[in-house]
Amino acid sequence: MVCTGFSDYLEKNMNKYFGYVIALLASPIISADQHQMDHSMHKNHAHTGHIHQQAVNGAELDVNKEKFDQFVEDLSFAKVAVISVQGMVCDFCARGIDKTFKKDSSVLKVDVDLNKGKVLVAYKTDQVIDFDDVKHKIQSNGQNATDIQIVSL
Amino acid sequence: MVLVMCFASEATDARKISYSGGGTLMVKSDSSAKSVYYHYSPSYKFSVGIEAQKDIFRETKGSYLRFNYLLNRKNTDTSQRNLYFLSGVSTENFNDLFYGVEGDWETREFFSGFGYTKTVAASRNISHSYVQIGIAPYVGDYGDFHTWLLLKAKRNSLTEEWQTYPMLKFFKGNVLVEIGYGNQGDWDLHGMYRF
Repeated sequence: MVCTGFSDYLEKNMNKYFGYVIALLASPIISADQHQMDHSMHKNHAHTGHIHQQAVNGAELDVNKEKFDQFVEDLSFAKVAVISVQGMVCDFCARGIDKTFKKDSSVLKVDVDLNKGKVLVAYKTDQVIDFDDVKHKIQSNGQNATDIQIVSL
Repeated sequence: MVLVMCFASEATDARKISYSGGGTLMVKSDSSAKSVYYHYSPSYKFSVGIEAQKDIFRETKGSYLRFNYLLNRKNTDTSQRNLYFLSGVSTENFNDLFYGVEGDWETREFFSGFGYTKTVAASRNISHSYVQIGIAPYVGDYGDFHTWLLLKAKRNSLTEEWQTYPMLKFFKGNVLVEIGYGNQGDWDLHGMYRF
């Protein structure tokens, strides 16, 4: 009688204890996956989500999305200026723009999208971006800046 | 890098002005001259420089103080057009000088250019002309290795014959190299490094 009762007790609770053990063993894996998922979601949110495909004025960002995502991948708390440039027809011509912006201490990073005729410039987040200054820098390389869109990360 | 510095061009010469504050080193070797040329651009509108040159036609060696000026530029979303005035005066004899114009029009896929220079010297006056067209076999992105296929025709007032030959232009980063081979067995080699 007693044996039967104990046997029933074990049978009823076996699944529960087994579940605890499995959960305990698997917990580091779940945490790592969860962390990775959180990080991935953060990355998606920060760099490819709809928020950062819009300029601060709400306009749709006219940029190669893949290039933009790659550019902002290692950036946080920064402002990115997407500058439309006329006359930037070759890699060699754009080198001067790259070098001119990199002399500015408030600039974190510069890249060029030749296909779209855009220059991407990442500034420190507290930097006020002056389009006249941007135009002057582009002009000093012999090209013309016609538009600017600013994205806050 | 040293190898790259062993080359320069009349087409790379078309890049006679750099960005404001930029410097450019060019090396050229063709049937008319061999030269090493450095210029500095206080503004994107003009450059000053010095060129050490061996003139093969005139059989002279010397240095020239150079001044180039951007006469006209038209930028659009897909193209750039330029017209330059170029000049140089010998450091040893101010009566030995040259001047000319060069122009180019370029998109990401097509290139065309021309140039005319006249050298005025006590020993002999010579003029050089060239026209050039080119096409990019692929359109690379910023930082990629870029290639251009070019066809160049040039003439000087001594031979009064047009010589036409293909050229290859490569550039990546701050380095540009052009290589051409004329039907008279002479190489047209140009290289450039932009600082």
